[in-house]
Amino acid sequence: MALAIRRSTSEVFGAAKWFIRRDCRALSTLPEKAVEVPVEKKRDRPVVSRIRANARNPNLALRHVYPEFLPDPNPKWRNSLREKLERTDMLNRRKQIDIPEFYVGSILAVTVADPHAQGKTNRFVGICIERKGAGLRAEFTLRNVVDHQGVEVRYDLYDPTVHSIQVLRLEKRLDDKLLYLRDALPEYSTFPFDMDPEILPDGTPVPVNPVQVKLKPRPWLERWERQELQGVSNIEEHLKEKDRVRRELRKEPWEKYDLMKQYRKTIPIEDQNDIWAEVNHQLKQLQLTRKKVSRKRTFGVPKTQLG
Amino acid sequence: MRRQILCLSTKITHNSCTKALPLTRFLSTQEAIDRRYHLFTLEKKRQLDKVGRVEKIEVQYKGVPNDCTLVMNKGISTPYDCARHLSEWHMDTSALALLDGTVYWDMHRPLTENCTLELQNFRVPEPQQVNRAFWRTCSFMLGACATVAFKDTVPVKLHSFPGPDIRSGSFIYDVQLPTLDDWKPSQQELITLGAEYVKLVRQNEPLERLEVSEELALEMFVENEHKTKQIPSIARNHGKVTLYKVGKHVDISKGPMISTTKQIGRVAVVSVHNLNGSNSEVEHLYRFQGVALPTGVIINHFAFSILTDRAKKLNTVRSPVPKTLEHEDSESIAMKA
Amino acid sequence: MNQADVSKLVSKLRINVLPKHRNLNNPKGPEGRIDKLRKTVTGLIKFERIELNYNRADEARQYAERLISEAIRHGDCHKPTMDTANFWLLEKELIHKLFKVLVPRYEATNLSYTRLISAPQQQYGRHTDKAVLELRGNPFPDLMNYKTNNKLLIQNVLLDAAKQDYKQSKINEIANNIGKKGNSSLDKSSKNIEVPEKPTES
Repeated sequence: MALAIRRSTSEVFGAAKWFIRRDCRALSTLPEKAVEVPVEKKRDRPVVSRIRANARNPNLALRHVYPEFLPDPNPKWRNSLREKLERTDMLNRRKQIDIPEFYVGSILAVTVADPHAQGKTNRFVGICIERKGAGLRAEFTLRNVVDHQGVEVRYDLYDPTVHSIQVLRLEKRLDDKLLYLRDALPEYSTFPFDMDPEILPDGTPVPVNPVQVKLKPRPWLERWERQELQGVSNIEEHLKEKDRVRRELRKEPWEKYDLMKQYRKTIPIEDQNDIWAEVNHQLKQLQLTRKKVSRKRTFGVPKTQLG
Repeated sequence: MRRQILCLSTKITHNSCTKALPLTRFLSTQEAIDRRYHLFTLEKKRQLDKVGRVEKIEVQYKGVPNDCTLVMNKGISTPYDCARHLSEWHMDTSALALLDGTVYWDMHRPLTENCTLELQNFRVPEPQQVNRAFWRTCSFMLGACATVAFKDTVPVKLHSFPGPDIRSGSFIYDVQLPTLDDWKPSQQELITLGAEYVKLVRQNEPLERLEVSEELALEMFVENEHKTKQIPSIARNHGKVTLYKVGKHVDISKGPMISTTKQIGRVAVVSVHNLNGSNSEVEHLYRFQGVALPTGVIINHFAFSILTDRAKKLNTVRSPVPKTLEHEDSESIAMKA
Repeated sequence: MNQADVSKLVSKLRINVLPKHRNLNNPKGPEGRIDKLRKTVTGLIKFERIELNYNRADEARQYAERLISEAIRHGDCHKPTMDTANFWLLEKELIHKLFKVLVPRYEATNLSYTRLISAPQQQYGRHTDKAVLELRGNPFPDLMNYKTNNKLLIQNVLLDAAKQDYKQSKINEIANNIGKKGNSSLDKSSKNIEVPEKPTES
């Protein structure tokens, strides 16, 4: 699944919609499509494989939105009790502030308590270039260019000093990490602090921004040419023949077939199902309350959108 | 002594031993055992020599690793020899041989004709016959143990042992101890008996089978009045008496028995009961009881303690001997092991 | 601290997985390691039972398990799974076997797909640990022949008889109590004693 479908209130009524649609079809004079018959036959076949049944759990889509609810896959640091306690703590924190859905590449505004700042709060706007950590130690890094100077701030997602996290533009980029923005031209990571939030209509998939950045000439912080980045356009311009040769030497084409390496990096479906079954209900409740609040707010101040 | 044995052996080779010598009076237990062993080996040698020219038979082996045909010597080769052609595992674990799917055959009994052969260990799906053979062997060994264990001053006369009844919980040997009056063994003595048993088992002797004529059997057991009484009724049907030998101990048994004593694993001699009240015909008759498991059967010590506790009770299986003398029905001869 | 990778979903393996992979000694490094494992996995799928060094067997076992679980989850119409099978199985007719023979065999199972059994070692001299790696449900005779749940095995017969004996003694005791006193309260107390021993299968 490359794109995560945005979860919304419409889903809650999804079942009702389904019934209505079916009823309409039954009432209409149009015959049902002949194609649908074999599809239903397939469903009749008894599902013998538990593996396939497990993988069909709709809750699994939550992993894209809330990746920090999954524990660190390294067995050295696994502790089921600690993980469970952390999840309850995370849910409690989410009841206090709205931690919205965002991805690497989204533009966020974060307000944190700062005893030395005017008004005791500090607001920072930037593009999320990295998300790391599991559980209460989940963190993300925002990057912006302020006064021609690149600035990066690392925030803990569940830090109690965070007052609010606001998503100004919800989108994804072509890569999982945007660390190459550090070596890119500054215009790619410059965002105005007075940006208005862009509101996506409910139910639309999260858009992927296909922009390809241009890197500054070398020296670079990392060997970007070896990382098979999608979001960089001019990487070949800066390479010497030597670099290309070494890139070929360093390639690991077998890595994508290394099944155990993948396995050690992820949490298996069966474990995920348990986790999502535990937190799913509360997360849905939180979403519903957030929706109600935000709807009230939008009805309350219609003029600000005009101005 | 030696001269007597020599004399006897010459008699046996001429197959004309009819008159039992009055040996009873001056044979100690040890001498009797030696004499019986000597007679057994001589008779075995004689029977082997009688085979004469070696003929070949084809034995169809069925089972792991694969079915195959073995060409063996008629009257000489045993199922154990077949196992030696297969593997060490077959030699060690096979307890009984199953010929043609019906006849249970000792591992050390020569094959007589073309047949199919299956080797049975204690883990086969239907191990009843193997279990019976195992229980019978345990009783047999208990007799050997009882003869060895006592001091020279205590004469030991083996009486008999009933057919294997595993559900009764213990294997039995009835022994007459004429000089001991109302003997109750202490715990230490029972442990010593068990140790003697284990010593015998560790010698890893094969159980050899031999069918002898009634006269020779009477000759071998001349000093044991119980056995001499039993032999005619046993030999009534075929005129033959089946003997088994392990180490130097020779005893009457119907068979079949397991391959070697090594296959007896965990074992305990748990009790000795005085039978004087129930059996009036023989004085000072004691019932030795024990419980054993095959090698490789690993059982929890608690579970084994349940078995030993149960085996301590007097096993009331009727000794078949008085019955056979009176009624002579085939059932009890079959019971007579 | 790392975040779990969410881009791929994997089914849980029913075997123990070590926290870290083993570097199987190889001059070619990780590529050589994967090549070795490919050969082993191919052999395992082909012959269904192989004997080899323990370390290599354990590593190859994990890859074989993963391959089969992927095949079960996605079926033969899924391009990446097909690619993976193509990579891991050096003999191409085995791809057909994987999807058409092994997937139906293991679809409904609750156990691991392979078994790893330590093989006997030589008694003297230097040795490396050997192991037998096999697919479950292979056509060969069972290696672990410890079927102790057979009621006819001698230890089970003995224990069963002991249990019956115990029950019988209890019943006799109750009967005696009734005969003596005819008091219902005593009966209850003796009935409460449950049979504690069960034939344990060793």
